[in-house]
Amino acid sequence: MSAALKALTRERSFAREAEKLLLGEGDEFHGEAILAVTKALLQAGVSYVGGYPGAPVSHLMDVLADARDTVLEPYGIHFEQSASEAGAAAMLGASINYPLRGAVTWKSIVGTNVASDALSNLASAGVKGGAVVVIGDDYGEGASVIQERTHATALKSSLPLIDPRYDMPTIVDMTEHAFELSETCNLPVLLSLRIRACHMTGSFICKENRPALRKRQNTALSPDFDYTRIVLPPSTYAQEKAKVEERLPAARRYIQSNQLNEVFKGQGGRHGIIMQGGTYGVVMRSLSRLGHGDVFGNSDIPLLVLNVVHPLVPEEITSFLEDKDSVLVVEEGHPAFIEDQIRSIIHQADMSCTVYGKNVIPTTGEYVTPVVRAGIATYLSALADTVIAKKTKERNSAIEKRVSVARDNKPGQPLPPRPPSFCTGCPERPIFSAFKLIMADRGPLHISMDIGCSTFATLPPFNMGNTVLGYGLSLASSGAIAGSLDQPAIAVMGDGAFWHNGLATGAINAQWQGMDAVLIILDNGYASATGQQHLPSTGATPIGEPVQISIEKALRGIGVQWIRHVDSYDIKGTRAAVEEALDVRGKGLRVIMSGNECMLAKKRRGNAIKAVALAEGESVRNARYGVDAEICTGDHSCMRMNGCPSLTLKPATDPLKDGPTAHVDNNCAACNLCGENAHAAQLCPSFYKARGVVNASALQRWRASLNMRMLKMMGAS
Amino acid sequence: MSSKDPLCVQIAALGGQGGGVLAEWLAEAARHAGYPGQMTSIPGVAQRTGATTYYFEMYPQAHCSEKPVFCLSPDADGLDLMIAMEPLEATRALENGLITKRTTVLSATSRIYSMVEKSVAGDGAIGSDILFEALEGAAKNVALLDLDTISAKAGGPGNAAMFGAIAGSQILPMTEQDYQAAIRIKGVAVEASLEDFAAGYKRARAPKPVEPASTSLHFDKVPAGFENEIAALPEMMRELAAHACANLLDYQNEAYVRLFLSRLKPFADAAGDLIIEVVRRLGSWMAYEDVIRVAQLKTRPGRLARIRGEIGIDQEAPLQVTEFLKPGREEFASLMPFAIGERMMKKHSSRSTFGMALRLPTTTVFGFGVLKVLAGLRWWRPRTYRYQYEQKAIECWLGAVEEAMKIAPELSFATTELAVLARGYGGVRARGMEKLDELFTNWSDKLANDPVALKIEVEKILNQARHDPDRECGKQG
Repeated sequence: MSAALKALTRERSFAREAEKLLLGEGDEFHGEAILAVTKALLQAGVSYVGGYPGAPVSHLMDVLADARDTVLEPYGIHFEQSASEAGAAAMLGASINYPLRGAVTWKSIVGTNVASDALSNLASAGVKGGAVVVIGDDYGEGASVIQERTHATALKSSLPLIDPRYDMPTIVDMTEHAFELSETCNLPVLLSLRIRACHMTGSFICKENRPALRKRQNTALSPDFDYTRIVLPPSTYAQEKAKVEERLPAARRYIQSNQLNEVFKGQGGRHGIIMQGGTYGVVMRSLSRLGHGDVFGNSDIPLLVLNVVHPLVPEEITSFLEDKDSVLVVEEGHPAFIEDQIRSIIHQADMSCTVYGKNVIPTTGEYVTPVVRAGIATYLSALADTVIAKKTKERNSAIEKRVSVARDNKPGQPLPPRPPSFCTGCPERPIFSAFKLIMADRGPLHISMDIGCSTFATLPPFNMGNTVLGYGLSLASSGAIAGSLDQPAIAVMGDGAFWHNGLATGAINAQWQGMDAVLIILDNGYASATGQQHLPSTGATPIGEPVQISIEKALRGIGVQWIRHVDSYDIKGTRAAVEEALDVRGKGLRVIMSGNECMLAKKRRGNAIKAVALAEGESVRNARYGVDAEICTGDHSCMRMNGCPSLTLKPATDPLKDGPTAHVDNNCAACNLCGENAHAAQLCPSFYKARGVVNASALQRWRASLNMRMLKMMGAS
Repeated sequence: MSSKDPLCVQIAALGGQGGGVLAEWLAEAARHAGYPGQMTSIPGVAQRTGATTYYFEMYPQAHCSEKPVFCLSPDADGLDLMIAMEPLEATRALENGLITKRTTVLSATSRIYSMVEKSVAGDGAIGSDILFEALEGAAKNVALLDLDTISAKAGGPGNAAMFGAIAGSQILPMTEQDYQAAIRIKGVAVEASLEDFAAGYKRARAPKPVEPASTSLHFDKVPAGFENEIAALPEMMRELAAHACANLLDYQNEAYVRLFLSRLKPFADAAGDLIIEVVRRLGSWMAYEDVIRVAQLKTRPGRLARIRGEIGIDQEAPLQVTEFLKPGREEFASLMPFAIGERMMKKHSSRSTFGMALRLPTTTVFGFGVLKVLAGLRWWRPRTYRYQYEQKAIECWLGAVEEAMKIAPELSFATTELAVLARGYGGVRARGMEKLDELFTNWSDKLANDPVALKIEVEKILNQARHDPDRECGKQG
């Protein structure tokens, strides 16, 4: 497939967004926060940008990849979609010796974990140029990763962590400050945005973009060697000392003198709230609902908003708490690092102030408004200030009462969850139908699963995949199990996972150890779960250079002999290949590559081509599956074998039927899985595939009508 | 504090329903009219068919000099407007405490079933009525929109019609023109969207929204010649029995209909719900889907026309229809005379999925002809192995119900329901039949000795038949 065609398949085109990156001094930018941060990077004059895609920060990279001609080349910015988050963090090494500003991005906590080796080394070596990591914190509702805090990484590696108040000009300011801060304290800086914040809309007034250093100075840098920047003893001891004695204090001075943290004095009083910047909106809304603030950010209660949550500036804390008997700390996630540090600051300053926090707001889970409002209400209701306490109690119980009255109407039965699943026509789904059949024959198998769309196999209707250990780690995680079970190690990974970590950590190791293993690679051509970003095997780089690296050649190169390709929609062939792989014990690593292009990408491109053809009156083929409702008995075996969103239910019109019958809706991609399953599992004769031609030629229509006339004579219509 | 409250709107949609575009339109409409606003979303991986949520806040004063502080998540009792592209998702917001007497709900009426609902063998779907009732009770106002019929273009995502309904509901202060301008600014499918917008707007402004059309059951009329027999039945079973008779006449012949009616006789005096259940299960079972029946239904006049409609081609356009059939030993045996068929089926495993995988082209003379020949074997059916096997099984089941009525009436309804095990094709059905056979062995002794234990067992079997019918073949799911 041509690179140009592949380019058509990206989930969104970012051309319009890319234009916004070119706004000049005084122009108003309006758009999503993650794009505003991207613009702020350009205003800060970055020389390089990298990262690994993942919600909610994929857009940062997607937009830049689409802006080679308008942004990257004119400003002289080096751009890479890194091989992994570790690769992205390593890119920041460019700022160790040189005054180059650079930024990378990834999804956290997982990306931060992958990157942490490079991050530790980077933080220890220290940076000259501003080095910023834009972190998309995937925490709370809609999250797809383990729930942990990036804050822990900031603490252990002495990385300043910015968690800005979610106001667009503040986010942009803080992004620019991040570079200054990094250069002032010689530490890389983390800028963290939560999911909802990345996607929030807003406006700010732009500054002019600054070209990359090389473009500005128009001379090349000369190589710099500085042993104190190398992470080997004795430099490492000096670096450790510098972090504590020079760099963090410098960061604190910068934070304080630039007033990065904000105090809102309110009406004073012997109480107050300290919060992460990112929770400011929720706190403010809670206060206004409880009658202690308004929608314009006027709060009666004194507030300290920590736009930088690490390092804390003890003087700012003690000065805020000077006249207070108590304070509430609003800090999302566990452990409560900020709350504990504030206790410690109070103790060291020999002050007396009661700290509330996790004792009134839940320890875990996203801090959405109902949760924070209830916690703030608990805190304020207990204040000695009876006016505040009384008002709070009244307002809060009125809200709770209205909610409980409304909730009394909720249905008696629990509502089924609606987790993500394989898309309509997904080429990664059929292999799990094949596994269902194999397990029906052989009994259950232990399958090591990976990160990616294929993880959805762990959900109904497949319920398979026993462990998920991280991106590209399925094969590595299967080795120690197989020996104790009577089966070879079985691992499934996507093409994205293969390139991220799977080749080195999984395949090479398995091959080297002579592991009795079956690796199934789901090769759909893209990093699909995050928005169909390109991979080394896609056929073109993110910015459109036609380069293709073959998974099979990589495997052959490390000596894998047993490799089979299967058409992912061919259940019979897939099943045969998997069973063969399971049975050739003692042959080392066996690899099955189950391939077909991501259906979302294929359909999007197909629809575009089809729309043009239809408009021009050219003939177009329509195909889809269907179910004869009269033949369907409603046992829904097909659903349990398939799980396609477009294979659904339809209320029966025949009163003799026992519940709804199966139904294929209009989204059907005619991927053939329904037919394959009907055959392979001997389901039922209800399924049919229909193919028709729109705008058929005169000859086609003549032949069709002749055929139809004969069928009519036999009773068809 | 003198400030007004912000207006808070949540949009719930499923991946692919155009919720993102709808949210962008809404934010753009407010911006166009000069109202401060903020939109956010949590698509995550949920964009792949899972539930997606968009949240929008605006301040109801245009060109406000002060800047409002917006929030990225709604408070409980915090929504002025709840938009749902699917009614279960609206109800989920109610469960989460977001919908109260402050909230106007605009919800699509069409259910999109979750995997959990779809997996149940039989009826696991949550009916829209339950959801609507909950919403009506909790919210200030509820408008239910059948987006499929409102949208000018069938098959579209319906988000523009919903956008029109938002404008029409007038909960937000923007004018109709502001909303339309947003569609033009966004520039996605402008003309079609404006058309749908107008339809949605009109629908929301209509004085008394029409109740959503629920799919009603279709009952066939009494076949000619059976009026007296049907009239002689207890009134409550007449409509269904007439329908079953018409179906069986189509299935076989008048004699077969009479057999059905005679089988009903012992139940004439039974309780109402039991009679209905017996009629329904017996009518359904007697029309068991054998090769002949499947061929008959696949060659039914009008079927090809229906399929043309499904794929959007006219009556003269080329059409190919392929059937996925896999006749195995069971299907061949089912057409044989009893003695031969019985021998063929000896030692046949219910787990076997062996068979001839056929892709039969129904739109060719050959393919249609084959099915037509098979459909024409109705005269032969009563001589087949399958016919005799089924009649024996039906008699056995009906006998079990009768005995239950006599010995342990509390078991009679559940016993009737056991016919569900005779449903389906292939392995699911074979396992069900084995289970019935085992259960009805020494049935009267079981009924007499320990009806309590038997009731528990029957309930267990029914539960498994509905929720986990694949389990016996060693599947995990």
